[in-house]
Amino acid sequence: MGEIRNFRSGNNGDPPSHSVGPRRLAAIIVGDIASYSRLMQADEEGTHVRVKRIERDLIQPSIVEHHGSLVKTTGDGFIAIFDSPVEAVRCSIVIQQNLIGRNASLPKDTRIEYRIGVNLGDVIVEPDDVYGDGVNIATRIEGIAEPGQVFISGAIYEQIKHKVVCGYESLGDRKVKNITDPVRVYKVLPDADAVGRTRGRRENALIFLLGITLSVMAAGVLWYLLAQAPGRVGEQATGPTASPAASPAALPSPQPPPREAASQTPQPSPSAASSSPSPAPAPSQSAVQSATAVREPEMVAIRGGSFAMGSNDDPTERPVHQVTVKPFSIGKYPVTVQEWNECAAAKACGFTAVGKDDAPVSNVSWTDAQQYAAYLAQATKKAYRLPSEAEWEYAARGGTQTKYWWGDKLQPGMAGCKDCGDLAAEQPAKVGSFRSNPFGLHDMGGGVDQWVEDCWHKTYQGAPADGSAWSSGDCGAHVLRSGSWKNDSRYVRPSNRDGYDTNVRYPTHGFRVALSP
Amino acid sequence: MQILRCVALAAALALLPGAAFSQGKAAPKDAKLYFITPHDGQKVRGGFWIRFGLRNMGVTHAGDEYQNAGHHHLLIDVNDPIDPKEPILQDKSHLHFGAGQTETLLELPPGTHTLQLVLGDAKHYPFEPPIVSEKITIRVRQPVTAK
Repeated sequence: MGEIRNFRSGNNGDPPSHSVGPRRLAAIIVGDIASYSRLMQADEEGTHVRVKRIERDLIQPSIVEHHGSLVKTTGDGFIAIFDSPVEAVRCSIVIQQNLIGRNASLPKDTRIEYRIGVNLGDVIVEPDDVYGDGVNIATRIEGIAEPGQVFISGAIYEQIKHKVVCGYESLGDRKVKNITDPVRVYKVLPDADAVGRTRGRRENALIFLLGITLSVMAAGVLWYLLAQAPGRVGEQATGPTASPAASPAALPSPQPPPREAASQTPQPSPSAASSSPSPAPAPSQSAVQSATAVREPEMVAIRGGSFAMGSNDDPTERPVHQVTVKPFSIGKYPVTVQEWNECAAAKACGFTAVGKDDAPVSNVSWTDAQQYAAYLAQATKKAYRLPSEAEWEYAARGGTQTKYWWGDKLQPGMAGCKDCGDLAAEQPAKVGSFRSNPFGLHDMGGGVDQWVEDCWHKTYQGAPADGSAWSSGDCGAHVLRSGSWKNDSRYVRPSNRDGYDTNVRYPTHGFRVALSP
Repeated sequence: MQILRCVALAAALALLPGAAFSQGKAAPKDAKLYFITPHDGQKVRGGFWIRFGLRNMGVTHAGDEYQNAGHHHLLIDVNDPIDPKEPILQDKSHLHFGAGQTETLLELPPGTHTLQLVLGDAKHYPFEPPIVSEKITIRVRQPVTAK
């Protein structure tokens, strides 16, 4: 900590460096992990993996979302620059707040906590680094920040004081190493009411309160699981708790998993899309599921082919264009609560979902869905991933070109949506409650919205024609397909598409996985 | 620490039993949500920027449980009243700005449209009382040159 890190990172193949990058005014964030050496000493590989995961899942997306750019990551920290001081501070707060959630369930000595310093200064920006006094000051401010805190310089404070609703505690002028003039430093208090309260007492009281709260929660969950008759559980399946602190006591569900038998039958017949030239390798799970075996979603092999993607029913679905899709497999149902919770139990997914085992998991962001796919791929050593948008539509159409997969007219009992007929308007209690399409897939339209791999684009202008995911452009939002039980029948159409913020959870959003052969 | 307080608050919220959550977080009485642009009755052509104004509250990410902060939702041509007991809908007429955006570039078909802002809490529920803007009407003109 406290090292000046504006040396050039050794990068061969650079042009001779007398061409200096442009100068510009930027808000600089410097973050760095407190007690990194101790963490590395205790568990080198584990810490490294966790730090990389935090960088990938939290730091990088937060910076992008706030229109900043990550200049570089060092072993234990990162430097990012922003045009806007407001965005820089917001981004810092978001990172710190998220880390609290991640750390909540961990013992204190294994927590990864960042110190963050923010400064405004004139810097020289080069492709892989940033130089200048402003960076050094940010580094120094970061050095005096407490773990889990954001400290900002006076220059930043002047810019944001009336714009970011936070408390600011002045720490006065600080003399920092190797910088001649003292620097005014402020501590950011995310809760504006917290200004001027004494910390020590509150801290202890709150830890105590938190302890009580967590134990009550755990007890409540246990009671809930044990005391409720299995049949009634579905009634309360709403609102999966997103809190990462959700007690691990929720995991060992005593209920008989209803779909277990089905998902263990070795390779279900790929139904209508049969005679597939590329059957997915049969899962060939042993009949007795050992404690470590991973529950794989039931997959259906889809023969590749060519189809007209899009429609003229909505501007986002234009232009209709021909796309060729390679053979792939796709989940017969959306990923279920039970499947998701195995990932949560393995600490690879961010929260434990509440609800009936065979209900589709919901309230997942695109990033959450990616985490599940990555977990499944890693645990099974198979190339699980999200389907591309083209694959999803191809699979949803099931070889048809009509408005819905069953024809041009709305029919009751075919999909779960607001005006799709009786019982369809309720939150799905179970995947596969409606008829399967010609490819043998359920819930491709209605039920839960489903994330796909592609970044959101308002139209198909420039879309790939080879069935691959469209991953260029602004990826702050990704594509949702299927529509949900809350939407009307227009959203059930296989060509319907919408975009939603990548990192935001919403109660109707779920997903299904795909697998390359 | 204030941070622990947030965690305690989040835990306390999670504690509320399943279906019966009393949603609707209290909002400051003087909070005001409004359109910076466009103004009521404005005529626009093509894509146009909408800027969201919020006073006496803060804008944050969806999912963040800060007090007195929420995220924007833009309702286009919505006539149904807002249900305070349900998350704000998500469809093509209910646009979400859960990443903390305070403006958007919108393209609408020619004709008259209404716009209204609603502030949502961490879980997309309206506040109590609901923080909504005035519902404004704009007129989108025919594009100058047809494509």
